[in-house]
Order: sequence, then C-alpha cells, then structure tokens
Amino acid sequence: MKKFLLASSALLLVGATAASAQEKTLTISVYGFAQDAFKELVYTPFEQKCGCKLIVETGNSVERLAKMEANKASPVVDMAVVSMADALSATRADLIEKIDTSKLSNFNKLYDLAKDPNGDGMSVGYTFYATSIVYRSDKMEVNSWADLLSDENASHVAFPNVTTNQGPPALYMVGEAIGKSTPDLKEAIAAVGAKKDDIVTFYVKSSQLVQLMQQEEIWAAPIGRFSWEGFTKLGLPIKWATPKEGQTGGMNVMVLTKGSKNQDLALQFMDFWLSTEIQTALAEKLVDSPANKEVKVSPEIAENLTYGEETVKNLKLIPSAVALDNREAWLSEWNAQVGQ
Amino acid sequence: MFQNRAEALALALPAAVFAAIVFLAPVVILLAEGFRSADSWSLSAYTAFFSDPLNRTVFLRTFRLGLMVTVVSAVIGYAAAFAIVNLTPRNKGQMIGLVVLPLMISSVARTYAWIVILGRTGIVNQALQLVGLSDEPIRFLFTETAVFIGLLQLFLPLMILSLISALENMPKDAIPAARVLGANWFQVFFKVILPLTKEGLVIGGTLVFTGSLTAYITPAILGGSKVLMLETLLYQRVTVANDFVAASVIAFILIVMSFAANLLLKRLATARNKR
Repeated sequence: MKKFLLASSALLLVGATAASAQEKTLTISVYGFAQDAFKELVYTPFEQKCGCKLIVETGNSVERLAKMEANKASPVVDMAVVSMADALSATRADLIEKIDTSKLSNFNKLYDLAKDPNGDGMSVGYTFYATSIVYRSDKMEVNSWADLLSDENASHVAFPNVTTNQGPPALYMVGEAIGKSTPDLKEAIAAVGAKKDDIVTFYVKSSQLVQLMQQEEIWAAPIGRFSWEGFTKLGLPIKWATPKEGQTGGMNVMVLTKGSKNQDLALQFMDFWLSTEIQTALAEKLVDSPANKEVKVSPEIAENLTYGEETVKNLKLIPSAVALDNREAWLSEWNAQVGQ
Repeated sequence: MFQNRAEALALALPAAVFAAIVFLAPVVILLAEGFRSADSWSLSAYTAFFSDPLNRTVFLRTFRLGLMVTVVSAVIGYAAAFAIVNLTPRNKGQMIGLVVLPLMISSVARTYAWIVILGRTGIVNQALQLVGLSDEPIRFLFTETAVFIGLLQLFLPLMILSLISALENMPKDAIPAARVLGANWFQVFFKVILPLTKEGLVIGGTLVFTGSLTAYITPAILGGSKVLMLETLLYQRVTVANDFVAASVIAFILIVMSFAANLLLKRLATARNKR
C-alpha cells in the first residue's frame, strides 16, 4: 500500500512538473546498483546544469534490452548503459544509433580500450573491471589460471557459474592457460567439468564469497575487481593474483537509442558522465572504475579499482561478437559437462 | 448460519472475485504459455523439457529430496509429537512453543546459519573430528545432504504440529486397550496410532512435501548451482535465459506434483479406512 501511494504520488508529481513547465526530459536506462550514489554524483548535478529532468529506469540488462526491443517503434529510453556484448546485441537488433563522438568533449580523454569497444562506433565505454583470482596466499600459490584446477587446489575453489558475468571471462583465461583457447570454450569447460566434484561451488552471487573465504570453505575464486574490497577486510592473508596469462574482465558502455527525440541532450549527458570531474567522483566513492585516463585517485582508492594505464592495457576482454555468438553454446556445453 | 445460500454466496463474492483476478487469471495465463507452440496448442515444450538430461536429473532430485524430507520428518515427527502430547499441560505448552519458535525466524536467517554450522570449520565438522569420526573436514555445503538438512529443519515443525493435534484428538485409552489385548508397540503404532492420526499425517505430509518442492531459498543457498532443484532451475531459466516457456513448464510440473502428493496421501488415508 505504501509503495502504491508512493508510486501514485510520484506519478502526480511527474504530471505536475510536466504541466507546469515545458521542461525537457531525458530518460535513461541503467543498472540497478549504487543508484543513491549515482543520483548524488551524476543525476542531480546534471539536472541542475541542463535545467532538465532525468527519468531513470533500472533493471538487469536482459530486462532492459527486452523493454527497448518492445518499445522499438516509439522509444521511451533515450540512452542506456549496458555491457559491451549487450551493446553489440542492441546494434544487431537495430535498437541503437551511431554515437557522434565529435560532440563528446571528453572523448579524447578516454583510454583507447573504451573509445569504441565493439569497433562499430555504436558505443562508448564508461567503466570497466578486471577479473582475476583472489586467493589465500598462505595456503596456495597462484601463478596461472590453470592453478585453480590443479589436484591440490580444485577442492578449495569456488568457480563462477557460466551464467554470471565472471563465468565466461574466467573460462576464457582457463582456456588460455591450458593452451586450448577457442571461442566455443569447449576445452576450458571440459577442464572445469573434469573437476566438478572437487570444486566447492559454482557461484552465482559474488557477495557470498567473502563468507566462504572467511569460513575457509574456499581458498580461491575468480572475481571482478569491484568485489575485492570485502576480502581485504577479513584480516586474512589474501592476495589478488597476477596470473602469467594476464587478467580478464568486462566493460560497460553507453549507447544511444535509435529514434530518440532527445539525442543532443543524451550526448550532453554522456559527455557529463565521462568528464574528469564526474569520473573522479564516481571513482572516489568506489562506484565505478574510471574510463577517463585523466582521473587521478589516491593509492588506497586505486587499490579497490581497476585503475591505471598499465592495468587497462593488459586486460584481455572477450570480444563482444564472440560472446554473443557463443552464449547459447556455452550454456549448453556447460550444462552437459558441469551442470548435473 | 445463513437463512439462504444466496446471502452466503454474496458475502463470499468479493473475496472470490479478488482471488480470481489477482491469482487465478495470472496463473492460468502464465501456465498457458507452456502449452502454446506458434499458433496451436501442444505439449512440445514439455517433451523438449524432459528430453534434456539435465532437466530430468533436476526433476528426479527435487522429487527424491521432497520424498525423503517428508518420510524422515514423519518418522521424527511422530516420535516428537508422541513425547509432547504425553507431557503435563504446562510442559506441553513450552515444548510446542519451542517447536513453533523456528517458524518465527526468517528462513533466510535460518538457512544462513546452516552455512556456518555445516562449514569446514563449523560445529559439525569440529565435533566429528573431536570424536575421531573423521580426520579432515567433510564437505557438507553445496551437497544434497546440506539441502536435505536445511529443508528438514525448515519443515519439520509443520509435521510435528499436525501430528500433535492429530494425537490429541485420538481417544486416550486406545493405546492402553491395545496393549492390554496383547499388541506389541509395533502393532500399536501401525494398527492403532497410524489409522487414528492419518488425517494429521496427510496434512503434515502435504505441507512438508509441497514446501520442500517449492522452497527456493534453501536450495539456492545450501545447494547452489551444483545441486539444482526445479525451483532454482526455474529462476535460472527466467533471469539468465529469459526463457518464460521453460519456466512455465517447471511451474506447472511443481503444481501438478503438489496436487498429486495431496491426492495420493488422501487416497492412502481412505484406503486404510476401508479395511
């Protein structure tokens, strides 16, 4: 009931502002996480600057893309942030438009990796994360992704499920490590499948891992850098591995809806989000690692982010086309070899 | 109570309409998804579901665990309920309070507690090592055993409470009478107690079995993706694959299993009556 009241009063408010002034509105579609911080650091300052109103839609990317597809004829959302692979999927479904980067004053400040992630000019990266292995340095040694699957270690490892964002990148690096790296990840999945009874769990929520590490249920797990902070507070000898095959990860990008009536405003908003000031603010609150290379943060902050030219240059990301074309095959291969 | 049926029906109408609109209609629409293929009605979604070996394993595991939890909770439940009804009224009240207590705690909290208890450094493993039953920590978490223990603890109170009320309604002198007539305890249970309390067993059994089938939190936390059950598979199909057809198939299977269990238990109860 309370929710209902809130929703209806929110509707009334929206109606009122729309009626009182012919105010410009921009509808954005974003991930549901850290919205309080985004509101404070990005949305409200932008509203003040542009004299416009932001309408924020949140949800996971599957839901949000499905919604964009359903509203294709008359788009509701003006700009969206999605994963690199989802941006390509939106491109293929003809949902998004080329981004005129000449209108983004901060474009040249971005790391090269973020400038055109899919090589088609349809998206701009705004944050990324490294994925590597967090491990108990007193119990084991991790120099390679293959160390996760060794006889001594496998029974102390939580491996990401293929359905999570960390799953395919981790499998991709296992493939690199065993020297059998193919886009279908077949050999890597088979290698994990061979150890499926030893591996403690195939995790779905990384938030669970801190507790498992604390209970010594696990000694190692591949994680995204954004989950690292929780482990550092355990008071255990825990390290972030730098495997010889390198680190992997993922990137989130901004896209522009095809047929949006507010494209200029959407571009202004993107430019604002990519500015050194805003990217620094987001980095300092540990919300997102910066894609803008002018961002400078203290070593303590940097420790909890994916930060710095060197780190970024060495990230091995799965190309979006590979991810998109193989998703279904990965899942069925995984279900056959690992799922039981 | 009412002068005529119409009056009673009129009073029931608002609730009935409400249930039809917010419950029945959405369920029917959702389940209908599973029986559609292109433009016609068909069972193809069901044959596709059961042709996948993973789905068959998950289906059988869900059924097996539900059955095991029901049977074990009935065995423990009878013992506990029997002990409780024979206590003095004051002690009885306290004991029933203890049985009900876990039901007042969120199942998330209770399930998380099991992660600590069953962990490698948890109390169970410490005890096993202390008494020398095991040299190194045994892995309980993310196994069927953990899910079984979690579900049993979750639903046992429902079985005990159903059996307590059934045992209390049983004539007090039935057991002494049977004993006097020379029945051993085995015969007393199967020939006297069980037939007289089967209603409670049917209610408890249905609650526990359907509860185990449809519990989501316990298998998700204690089993994880290594011990998929129908309900965790359902979640995966919707959130990962956006596959509402398979999800509606699973939902329908779960509903059918629940109804079937209830009918079967009732049938068993009446079958014993006739004898």
